[in-house]
Amino acid sequence: MSGRAVALETASKLRAAEGLNAVLHWSQEALDAEGERVDRMPAPGPLAGMAIALKDNIVTTEEPTTCGSRILSGYTSPYTATAVARLRAAGALVAVKANMDEFAMGSSTENSAFGRVRHPLDPERVPGGSSGGSAALVAAGVVPAALGSETGGSVRQPASFCGVVGLKPSYGRVSRYGLVAFGSSLDCISVFSRTVDDAGRVLAAMSGVDSLDVTTLDRPPMTAPAPRADLRGLRIGLPREYFPPDLHGGVASALHRTREAIEQLGGTTREVSLPHSRYAVPTYYIVAPAEAAANLARYDGVRYGPRMVGPAGDIHALYQATRGEGFGAEVRRRILVGTYVLSAGYYDAYYRKAQRVRALIADDFRQAFASGVDLLLTPTTPTPAFKAGEKTEDPVAMYLADIFVCAVNLAGLPAVSLPVGRSEGLPVGAQLIAPYLEEERLLAAAAALERAVPADGEVR
Amino acid sequence: MGERVSIGRDEVLHVARLAELAVRDDEVDRLVEQMNRIVDYVAQLDEVPADHQAAPFLPGPVQVPLRADTPGSVPLARPPAAMAPEFADGFFLVPRHGAMEEP
Repeated sequence: MSGRAVALETASKLRAAEGLNAVLHWSQEALDAEGERVDRMPAPGPLAGMAIALKDNIVTTEEPTTCGSRILSGYTSPYTATAVARLRAAGALVAVKANMDEFAMGSSTENSAFGRVRHPLDPERVPGGSSGGSAALVAAGVVPAALGSETGGSVRQPASFCGVVGLKPSYGRVSRYGLVAFGSSLDCISVFSRTVDDAGRVLAAMSGVDSLDVTTLDRPPMTAPAPRADLRGLRIGLPREYFPPDLHGGVASALHRTREAIEQLGGTTREVSLPHSRYAVPTYYIVAPAEAAANLARYDGVRYGPRMVGPAGDIHALYQATRGEGFGAEVRRRILVGTYVLSAGYYDAYYRKAQRVRALIADDFRQAFASGVDLLLTPTTPTPAFKAGEKTEDPVAMYLADIFVCAVNLAGLPAVSLPVGRSEGLPVGAQLIAPYLEEERLLAAAAALERAVPADGEVR
Repeated sequence: MGERVSIGRDEVLHVARLAELAVRDDEVDRLVEQMNRIVDYVAQLDEVPADHQAAPFLPGPVQVPLRADTPGSVPLARPPAAMAPEFADGFFLVPRHGAMEEP
């Protein structure tokens, strides 16, 4: 299929999926230009003709970047993200920007200034978040792959809710240049796709050192591994803290079936412990808001977007009015919490303590892998997709939707969410977690499981 | 965190000033309630014994490589003037800072 034909087909699918509210910016002209560019490439790249949507916090020079926020209205970046440049060089068409929770803060994509994203299977439900627009576009079949970003599970959680593959790489695998900063020690560009193979190919094309992001690892780019035929010799740990007695019945059944599939494929499973797991969400909700409060200080009405002058007419009034009007409720809440935990008198009690607990959480994973397991298997989310409005009144209830995903971000590890069945028609995801930089092991095993476990089969 | 007192109205307004964030009067009570809810929740880290505390952890390369400190320009598709609310003669324009005004 030519690039031009992919552009036309993608446009018609985008129109058909308008009701999801999953897209913030796209145009036929930009898609056509990408199609023509791909058709002119001297040799087809590894992603030739693949349309890839971007979460709207990854910058391009052609489309606006709003991060789902009014504070960036009218902003178009003067440079292109390294990940986007690499995808384009590999032959992908990149011209669609997806809706998201404002500045990637949320677990349901209800916090976008441009309206909530609807779950493709049930418009009353949320697609998860914060990369909910990207997840919905892949789940609805509009694009075969999309980029999201993870700070605390924002790709794996919506992938699980929407029934698609969500792959988070090791911290440092993919350049953050051109990913709008939220929590810089956590942020990772990550991938949605319908197959494990596509996720691996997209990640491989983006990965590798970048002089524009000093936290990228100086290693050769990753290669997309061949799938394993079986799981013989592979030892998979099940952390007992991730299988609480009150786990949702459908999620527990789907995970049980996944465990059986691992054993039928010749892998072995055994219980392990990650004793500090219960502290992952509270640690995250100190570290991430603290980093966000610092990163979001740049949105002040001076250099980007609209400006509000404020009643006093001086520079502080300008900052306060612009930020007070421009940021939505969840972003303001997190800036306030982040500023509070970093403020004099509280820094040691909160931020320093959280950094130390973060080290214990990372060490739990190291010890589990050192005890003789190759990968870990957990549910991705405690329940299938919840209803819109169900958790918006209680910020902590919303944060707990990420209880099984955010420890991985604190530890910087690679992980994938795979669809492993449906409960009352809603997708359930299983998460595989690998040691640092073991993406190839992770993807080869995930591809074998993908063939063995029916993603659409109802579980009881 | 153990001796933490709950966050009051004044503290929320103080933090909002530090964060350069305007807060409307009619939303302060709700912010007080939500910040207390969040800070009470994260305070469970108190349970982690102090003698088990490890050194702070950051993922990524063991040593961050630094580039040579030589000035250079990143090619931009459009100039800063195209993004900023007000820009002239190579400067971002803002209202005068109160403290710098003549008495």
